[in-house]
Amino acid sequence: MEEINETIKKFQKELNGGTSSLVLLSVLSKAESPMYGYQIAKLIEAETKDVDIMKQGALYPVLRSLESTGLLESEVEPSIAGPPRRYYKITDSGRTTLTKWIEIWHQTREFVDAILKGGDDE
Amino acid sequence: MNNGIEKYLSELKKELADSDRATIQDALSDAEEHLRTGLNSAMEADPQISEAEALAAIVEKYGAPREVAAAYKEIESRTPSAFAVPTNKESEVEVTPESAEPIAADTRPFYVKFFGIFADLRAWGSLLYLIFALGTGIIYFTWAVTGLSLSAGLLVLIIGIPVAALFLLSVRGIALVEGRIVEALLGVRMPRRPLFSRKDIGWWQKIKGMITSRHTWTAIVYMIFQMPLGIIYFTVIITLISASLWGIALPIVQFGFDIPVFQNYDYYYYLAGWLMPFTVIGGILLLTATMHLVKATGRLHGNLAKVMLVRE
Repeated sequence: MEEINETIKKFQKELNGGTSSLVLLSVLSKAESPMYGYQIAKLIEAETKDVDIMKQGALYPVLRSLESTGLLESEVEPSIAGPPRRYYKITDSGRTTLTKWIEIWHQTREFVDAILKGGDDE
Repeated sequence: MNNGIEKYLSELKKELADSDRATIQDALSDAEEHLRTGLNSAMEADPQISEAEALAAIVEKYGAPREVAAAYKEIESRTPSAFAVPTNKESEVEVTPESAEPIAADTRPFYVKFFGIFADLRAWGSLLYLIFALGTGIIYFTWAVTGLSLSAGLLVLIIGIPVAALFLLSVRGIALVEGRIVEALLGVRMPRRPLFSRKDIGWWQKIKGMITSRHTWTAIVYMIFQMPLGIIYFTVIITLISASLWGIALPIVQFGFDIPVFQNYDYYYYLAGWLMPFTVIGGILLLTATMHLVKATGRLHGNLAKVMLVRE
């Protein structure tokens, strides 16, 4: 049982590896001003409600890696209470990448759905 | 106050112990930012709630230290080389000096880096290549000079044209073979297949294409230069290696076999015994430095080969 649980989790994790970049990029492309990690996490939580497939802690490394590839840029600003916050915003290349990614996502979803349904619409 | 956060951070740090320093730094500052912000807003929203309770809820959503550490490790393992996009980060370096470190920084101490060269396959490959460059250089040089002068000399006769064409074709072939050697020994990515595969154009077009291609001529220049370069590489490397080995073997040669350092007619010169440790250490250092030089030269030569032999 333990092993099966492990493979289930692994599958979820592997899927998240790709989708989390897409989700973060999309959130930041809609944001009007730069956002910090907690804000992003809360926003995702509010929009997805009871779907809880991604730990919020896993978002931060993705933000960093998106930044290192030039799709996001960030700035550290001191906050009134607590530690300084890192504010992220999307770059131009991030926006162009996002439109491509969304296209790929739609294709992928259609592809997988088509297989899962097994051609019963024909 | 905030004992819980401190505890979480130290656990996270432990989980990340074998990661790169920059990653640890990132993970800790991200977690601290998230947990503190979350805690503050939870306390504001509901002043009745106990801090421990609020934190537990936030951590539940954020993920246990082990999970979070795994996420960072995963990203670390797949970002660096595949996505290494040079970004001009100069402006941000001042803000966060910790995170400005390259992700895959070599954190080995300097002496391990220095002597670790002997375990570096690339250095041994370069050594082999540079020593053999004398041989390949002589072959390439002879072939290039013979081919060029023969083609040029025979061009006044009709036979000169096929000779020139065959010669240029052979240059292409040699460039490909040399590229394979360079990739195998110097680790610079080179083409694996000949480019010459168009079926829709005639022979005359192909020959014209070869003559007008810049890459054919730079390949000939490369072949000619390979000989002087090969001579320099060979001489310098053999000299440095012999000098190093001389220093290392000196105690055995002098005390074991009674061979003098220097002999002038009937005068035999020996080195004082107390100098021996210095020659041995000097020899070892010189040998190691030579390997570094070899590796660096190999990389330079590989890039030269890429510029001269590969059509962009």
